[in-house]
Amino acid sequence: MDPPDMHLLSELGKGLPLVEEPYEEIGKRLNLTGNEVRERIRNLQAAGIIRKFRARINQRRFGITANALVAWKRADSPKGEMGSLLASFPCVTHCYERLPVPGRWEYTIYTVHHGYSRNAVLAEIRTLADSMGVHDYVVLFSTDEFKRVPTVRIGENGGDMT
Amino acid sequence: MTNHVLPDMTDLYILDALQDDIPLVPRPFEAIALRLGIPEQVLLDRLKRLQDEGIVRGISPFLESRHMGLSAATLIALHVPEDRVHEIAAIISSYPEVSHNFRRDHYYTLWFTISGKNEEAIQSVLAEILRRTGIPDTDVLNLPTVKKLKVDVRFSFLNTEDREGTLGSS
Repeated sequence: MDPPDMHLLSELGKGLPLVEEPYEEIGKRLNLTGNEVRERIRNLQAAGIIRKFRARINQRRFGITANALVAWKRADSPKGEMGSLLASFPCVTHCYERLPVPGRWEYTIYTVHHGYSRNAVLAEIRTLADSMGVHDYVVLFSTDEFKRVPTVRIGENGGDMT
Repeated sequence: MTNHVLPDMTDLYILDALQDDIPLVPRPFEAIALRLGIPEQVLLDRLKRLQDEGIVRGISPFLESRHMGLSAATLIALHVPEDRVHEIAAIISSYPEVSHNFRRDHYYTLWFTISGKNEEAIQSVLAEILRRTGIPDTDVLNLPTVKKLKVDVRFSFLNTEDREGTLGSS
């Protein structure tokens, strides 16, 4: 990634301006044309650096306040590999495989679920578990959000601007 | 507790559309407005309002951490005495390497993520947090990321069934 890309990502990180020609507007700040801005975004998407380019929505403002992290113990499911199965459910927003802590914590697959109520989320998790035929899991509901920021923040923890 | 807002149907259609990638055309909002059957200016005005109300945090790229020099990541769980939760959470949140820090309903109270350029960078942040808070190793779960199988945060705002009887009452 060249410096203009870093500056572009840094500008875009502030949010796309809500004007008729937002790419022109961004370009003006960086001495690029709107066309060049779009071309660079397209290339960053193709390289997998930009994963998604869309609105960040605060779901809590709609009452989607139940948030559960579920830790699953890997088991043989007749339906297939557990991680891919779990990732394939539309209601799962995140799915990660992690190392266990042998003897203390044997869970290795983690999913995140959101919903309007704990009961709704629990019902959803139960449906997934039943459909896979696995029953060894721990549901961890959040009660406080102390910090939630994008994982990569240009200039703060990701990338070098020079 | 957060105040819940009651958006109208047009807002919900807008939010739904904004969860797809923004078109890379000279006038992306015109393209979205056209799809929604509303004038471009109405879309822009509503977007500004949704942003002012804190419903939309902004339209920006989601970056792949591995390509941004953050190749290692872990999830840490700590068992923390009830009366120290806030003090310890504040210490944890002060690190730029920590992006998510939640309290969860479990014996392991605090769950947070650390990302860094390599395993050593993460270990040194963790060691410093444990040293500053005095949490013993036996009260820590370190769960390094092996594989990211999915990250796709998307809400079905148009699925009113989910919402019935809960909006505004919870």
